[in-house]
Amino acid sequence: MNWATVAFGLYTAILLAIGIWSYKIVEKVPIAKYEQEFYVAGRGLGGVVVALIIAGGLASAGTFIAGPGMCYAYGYSWVFINNMQTFMNLLLLAPIGIMVGIVARRVNATTYLDMFRARYRSKAVIVILAILVTVFLLPYMATQFVGAARVITQMTGIGYFGALALGSVVVLVYCVLGGMRGTSIAILVQGVVMTIGCIVLLIATVKYAGGLARSTEILAAEDITLLSPTMGGAFTGMFSFSIACLIGYFIVGMPHAMLGALTYKNTKALKRGIWMGGIFVLLWTLCLCMSGAIGRSIIPDLGVADEAAPWLAMHVMPGPLGGIVLAGIVAGIQTTVAAMAIIITSSIAKNLLKELKPTVSDRALKIASRWTMAGCMAIAIGLALQQPALIQWIIIFAIGGLEAATFGPILLGLLWKRGNQWGAIASICWGMVVYALGSTVLPQLQVGGMHQSFVAIVSSVVVYVLVSLATTKPSDEIVQTFWGASAKQQERA
Amino acid sequence: MKFIEDPRVKASRRLWAISWIFYSVFIAFLMGLSYTMGTEPYIWGLPRWVAIGNIVVPIVFVIALIFVAEKLIPDLPLTDDKEGTEGGKE
Repeated sequence: MNWATVAFGLYTAILLAIGIWSYKIVEKVPIAKYEQEFYVAGRGLGGVVVALIIAGGLASAGTFIAGPGMCYAYGYSWVFINNMQTFMNLLLLAPIGIMVGIVARRVNATTYLDMFRARYRSKAVIVILAILVTVFLLPYMATQFVGAARVITQMTGIGYFGALALGSVVVLVYCVLGGMRGTSIAILVQGVVMTIGCIVLLIATVKYAGGLARSTEILAAEDITLLSPTMGGAFTGMFSFSIACLIGYFIVGMPHAMLGALTYKNTKALKRGIWMGGIFVLLWTLCLCMSGAIGRSIIPDLGVADEAAPWLAMHVMPGPLGGIVLAGIVAGIQTTVAAMAIIITSSIAKNLLKELKPTVSDRALKIASRWTMAGCMAIAIGLALQQPALIQWIIIFAIGGLEAATFGPILLGLLWKRGNQWGAIASICWGMVVYALGSTVLPQLQVGGMHQSFVAIVSSVVVYVLVSLATTKPSDEIVQTFWGASAKQQERA
Repeated sequence: MKFIEDPRVKASRRLWAISWIFYSVFIAFLMGLSYTMGTEPYIWGLPRWVAIGNIVVPIVFVIALIFVAEKLIPDLPLTDDKEGTEGGKE
């Protein structure tokens, strides 16, 4: 057993202990308050945890495995593209954080779809979204398990399937047992490990490569396009801008990011969540992506580009440090899986179940929550048994699909009084159809080399507005719940 | 009865505008500098566009974000019962 395995084993043991500890906390909560504790940790999370939940949830294997992998394959052009995700926390919490914070407390929303239910009062919206969220998040979650398994394989030398089991069981334990409470405690440990791991990896990689200048010379000699911002024209400006939209402007459409908006304690936590998130994402992105690009000057012939970060961790630094780096990479993936698992579970076990069977008891919901979470993870693990080469393209595809379905109904639903359920349904359906066509038989929808999600999302927003204006206004009750002044404010007025 | 809008909604819309403007300026700098600075001469051993556009620019904007978030986001209560009393200290 090498030192890296020992360090990773220690990290895993800490997470398992957190799972069991948080299970005890959650079990002490009265059944009537269980839902709020399990899904939003009592709505009392501070700035650091909120920053990590959103940043860690959104910066997935796409940042921790595929990010360095893409930079290894495409050079510094992908450092440039990945840098566009730096302000994800700002672009999620600033546009909708305050509204979600106020309305979630007014209507006691504990899940993502609770907000939709309160806004649109439509069973169809809930059912469609529950299905779509599950359909897109499950393969997305599977790619996370693939990434984690690749890291563990590199580290321990055990086979892919054993690594897959090892990487997924620990998340299963702390998510299923502790829900959001377990996730929020684990994420603090993971945030520290991730950040230290990323910084150490960059320093060690630069040192091993003989310095930045030496590395750049080697890359230039191998292929000058590795030093180009467009990879010699492979990634056009329009394509890069469409990615900026996907991981920037449209990020409010990511359901698992909404967890941060549902769980923060007060505006002080919101502000810290915004700027601390920027620091975390920048550190992770720069350190890992730079390592991937520089890593190519150390080993130019890796069979699978996604293995760049784990390879570097195992070869350019002493064993225990390599273990910390690899634990950090796996931690980055696990935070995403945890956030996704909670969103899928809440969509199915709470919202879908309650829509189909409104009389379901709190105890039945509690049992359903845990079994659904375990079931979803099992499916994702099953999907991960297929081993895709570069997982980044699957991740971008899933992000595009989720945002095409939900961006308009979320953002306009919270900021525009006139939007209604018909606009939401039309927007979701339109977004899905255009996205499917753009991804398959109508590549012309990738206008100017943009990702197909851009046209789908922008046009779905137009459809939302047009259909809402053409149909009846939302009820006064909805308008009052979302935008109306409180009793105190009305008295003063 | 006349509809009276919660003043926090206005703050929320303003934050949306601020965040998108901030990000647009960032993207303009990031893309503009990356595409125009060229690969030589190297700075710190890196291509010029990487060093300036992709290291300096994001760091400057993250530092700016601390001030933007702390100064431009008001302390607002999130529950109606504490509205107008405790300014975010729930």
